[in-house]
Amino acid sequence: MTREDGLSPDLARVLNFLGLLAMIGVLLGAYVYQFSYRELPCTLCQLQRVGMLAVAFGAAMNVVLGPDPRHYGVCLISAVFGLGISIRQSLLHINPFFDTTSGQPSLVATTNPPFGQPVMGLHLYVWGIVLFATVIIAVGVVQLFRGQFRAVDGPDRLRRLANVAVGILAVVAVVETITTFMECGFVDCPNNGGWNWWLFS
Amino acid sequence: MMTVTYGLLAIACFILWRRVRWGWTLVMAALVLGIVVFARDVDFSSNLGIQL
Repeated sequence: MTREDGLSPDLARVLNFLGLLAMIGVLLGAYVYQFSYRELPCTLCQLQRVGMLAVAFGAAMNVVLGPDPRHYGVCLISAVFGLGISIRQSLLHINPFFDTTSGQPSLVATTNPPFGQPVMGLHLYVWGIVLFATVIIAVGVVQLFRGQFRAVDGPDRLRRLANVAVGILAVVAVVETITTFMECGFVDCPNNGGWNWWLFS
Repeated sequence: MMTVTYGLLAIACFILWRRVRWGWTLVMAALVLGIVVFARDVDFSSNLGIQL
């Protein structure tokens, strides 16, 4: 007989729901920022949003289908993906020998302006590093509690919560698809944020 | 391609809404597509040394 820890499957599902809301909140914040400053997301910004949405999907799987190490695996893989993209973009703006305007390396140190407006002193791609690193640590900590993985019998008491979770996620995913289609169409997105699709160019 | 990536995520959400378990494979496909987009964005051929 194994000793049970304090994290029940239902509590783990609620925690995952809160995590999902946090990721969706960041995505919606990016939207507010995008429209208030009229700055369209660059390719790397879009890829970080994909990472956030995929992390939220892993959390939604835990809410809808119950906690499972494979669902946490989806979160971890997505967070590592997003972390790599965030680090890449941060390094682009740290490196003084890379001209972000022309997108080419330079033999002289450039001013290399950062992309977009800072939020509480940090740019969004630096916040991306903080966010994805936090997700990786949080998922690692939550997985230490194995009581959440035990089988549960009886009716699903959190079915409504699960429907809300996947509904929110689906709406955000569809909105992201539409706005990205408006910005990029089916071709590559512009690197510095701008209309790239023939209809809007 | 980014639109297709988001589209895969949106379809995965619909599949999850139907309580089907394999929606995560579409998420993995979206991430792979994201890596392809990223690799195209890096432009390895012209400035491999400095950008990496």
